[in-house]
Amino acid sequence: MSDDLVQILEGNTFVVSDKRGDIEASLTDPTGLFSFDTRFLSRWVLTVDGQRLNALSTDDLQYFQTRFFLVPDTGTVYVNATLSVIRQRDVSDGFHEELRILNHQNQPVDLVVKIEAASDFADLFEVKDALEKKGKYRSRKVNGSLVLEYRRETYVRETWISSSEPVQFDAKGLAFKITVPAHGEWKTELDVVASLGSEGSSRTGPVGVRGQHRVRRDMARGLDKWLERAPHLECDWEPAQMIYRRCLTDLAALRFSTLTLTNRALPAAGLPWFMTIFGRDSIFTSLQALPFVPELAATTLLALGERQGTRIDDFRDEDPGRILHELRYGEMTAFEERPHSPYYGNADATPLYVVLMDEYERWTGDTKLVKQLEPEARAAINWIDQYADLQDNGYISYQRRNEETGLENQCWKDSWDSISYHNGDLPGFPRATCELQGYAYDAKVRAARLARQVWRDLSYAEQLEKEAADLKRRFNRDFWVADGEYFAVALDMDGRQVDSLTSNIGHLLWSGIVDNNKAKAVARHLVSPKMFSGWGVRTLAEGEARYNPIGYHTGAVWPFDNSFIAWGLRRYGFKEEAAAIAAGILAAAELFNGRLPEAFGGYRRSATRFPVEYPTACSPQAWSTGAPLLLLRVILGLEPIGENLVVDPGLPTRIGHVSLLDIPGRWKRIDAFGRGRIDVSKFLDY
Amino acid sequence: MPARDGSSKRKPEDAVTEFFDLLAAKHHEPLFEGDTATIRFDVKDGRSLETWYLTVKNGDVGISHKRAGADAVVRMERGTLEMLVDGRHNAMAALLRGLMTIEGSMGAMVMFQRVLPGPPEDKGRVPPITGATVMAQRRPT
Repeated sequence: MSDDLVQILEGNTFVVSDKRGDIEASLTDPTGLFSFDTRFLSRWVLTVDGQRLNALSTDDLQYFQTRFFLVPDTGTVYVNATLSVIRQRDVSDGFHEELRILNHQNQPVDLVVKIEAASDFADLFEVKDALEKKGKYRSRKVNGSLVLEYRRETYVRETWISSSEPVQFDAKGLAFKITVPAHGEWKTELDVVASLGSEGSSRTGPVGVRGQHRVRRDMARGLDKWLERAPHLECDWEPAQMIYRRCLTDLAALRFSTLTLTNRALPAAGLPWFMTIFGRDSIFTSLQALPFVPELAATTLLALGERQGTRIDDFRDEDPGRILHELRYGEMTAFEERPHSPYYGNADATPLYVVLMDEYERWTGDTKLVKQLEPEARAAINWIDQYADLQDNGYISYQRRNEETGLENQCWKDSWDSISYHNGDLPGFPRATCELQGYAYDAKVRAARLARQVWRDLSYAEQLEKEAADLKRRFNRDFWVADGEYFAVALDMDGRQVDSLTSNIGHLLWSGIVDNNKAKAVARHLVSPKMFSGWGVRTLAEGEARYNPIGYHTGAVWPFDNSFIAWGLRRYGFKEEAAAIAAGILAAAELFNGRLPEAFGGYRRSATRFPVEYPTACSPQAWSTGAPLLLLRVILGLEPIGENLVVDPGLPTRIGHVSLLDIPGRWKRIDAFGRGRIDVSKFLDY
Repeated sequence: MPARDGSSKRKPEDAVTEFFDLLAAKHHEPLFEGDTATIRFDVKDGRSLETWYLTVKNGDVGISHKRAGADAVVRMERGTLEMLVDGRHNAMAALLRGLMTIEGSMGAMVMFQRVLPGPPEDKGRVPPITGATVMAQRRPT
């Protein structure tokens, strides 16, 4: 997002404007008031006596609130403005704008204040892809409000605009004829409300989403409380505090309430374009944040559980038991021009759902929720065996059934060239990527534990353990590239190894599917100069045909990926290697002022001295926000064992002393302490 | 068969009646496990209005036309409901499109849509695509 744009948000509603608070969008331009994946204002331009205003300053008071200080354009710096204009904007289920005009002269002044208002009601997908609209527009006055309307068959979306002071509405928007007293002030309160109307349902007022406004606002106001409730961090390495606070604050801004769970929040994927539920992103972020804000995981489990797939639907790539990929509310979804109602095309969220459920119980002891979600967990396990085994070879594979608007690569590396052979060729479909098998293994091991300890179904536990052991045995045989001593990124449609060296092998350690006698070679690869840039592990190793340091999934470094790789290294006892990755990513976090981008270039650290950001539309991105949190857990060696939290630090020397106080969990609150003793310098200077 | 009062004059092949009859005959629906909610369906058919109540108690299902309190009231044309129960419409898309409206609990609707079938022709598998085909569509390295 460009630097001269201002964005504020609340839930799935956000406003992107210029520094003056004005909105002048074209179909492809990303400014406007957006709600439910629809643009409800594409034009909102303030003039005083026909003149545009200049911004003196713009203050982001909160992530849902901005104040703009403006003056009329006098045309020269030698003439003082005699008026000031203050716009303060709050986002809710639309926005509320307080407009104040201050007269600095010794005599009253008559003014015409106008706000041009219009909406193109573009779907977010249309803003990205510049598509034409199919419906009709009109505007009308209802009970003192100006209503902008878009209608296509029974699909109706409206923007309701009202003012606390007398106002004239015309075809272009709002007009006020006012007199401001000498050294006095004039003020009006404007409300812009996004309405999801339907035919005949909105004659008297906007059709909002009941109760959403109030609840979300209370959540936002609770930012201080949110920060207070999280564990307290003290650290000798100064940037740690700044990074930690940035992550917690960004995580608060990323909280998203669904229409069904209005008083709870789960992490959305990214701001502002991915303010919705994504199965994969919400699960990974919830896992990363578990030791700090465990309630996010509970909401993620509930929200994804209630929309778990129940039928075969090829357009949506839906199967019984499958966990959704992405949910959207815009016009293209409504008319089935896009499959996001919701779309199910991913192959990892379903096993990861079970992984999160178990990890959540291990931390919190919330057996009630895990009992309640037993049917969802069983349906997810059943999906792995019944629906995901597309080649009938005992492995999860993916191939989209929606060939027009579905996703080709249904793993986290979802770009077209992310999965390739060593020589650069791309495999056919179905594809069985390796990390999916790891997740499936882990899901079964963890479901077995839950079956034993919570669901009290011993025979199910034994069956799952047997299946997991069998999967592990086959996997270590079929995916192992013997001459390179690593795991192939995938098996292709003929069962042949897709033999490139990728960061996916780190996820395998996290899942525990790697035989002990192979783990050392995997760890060695991950911190070798081919893979480790000094900042982090590259998605694809140097030396592979498609390697490119600024290739999205073919060489760039992803902080989220690295946080799970570090977790995996710790799982197999590689403290030093895990500390090296944590040190690299945290050093990058410092340079990004605490807010890690989705990905950055895979250049050697010694070559650039600064991580080169990969340009993406969203910031903050949820799983990048969660990465430093998970890394903190990893280097402190926090692991729930039974009723206790075990602390086994493996900290880089530079970090010095660390205290993490009041870690929530089944033990109520516990403190963890550690001191940096691992010298990682040999890894960081490639 | 469900206890229906008076208005069971529909043809036996009627899709909506058949759908609700089958649901009621199950007595317990595993996809509603742990859920409790009552949904009223106001179904418009020309000038007449037909009302169905789906009552779920911990997964136990009851269907009735008898007036009762409801957590959610869902309104739509009969044609829309017919297309929902035979899988030609998707509930979420239909809702976003304004083909039906919901007053009250969205959660109840999310629960209900679980028992709706997918499109009748959908098979769940498609023929594999060879690596050569993928390479032919893509740029070289």
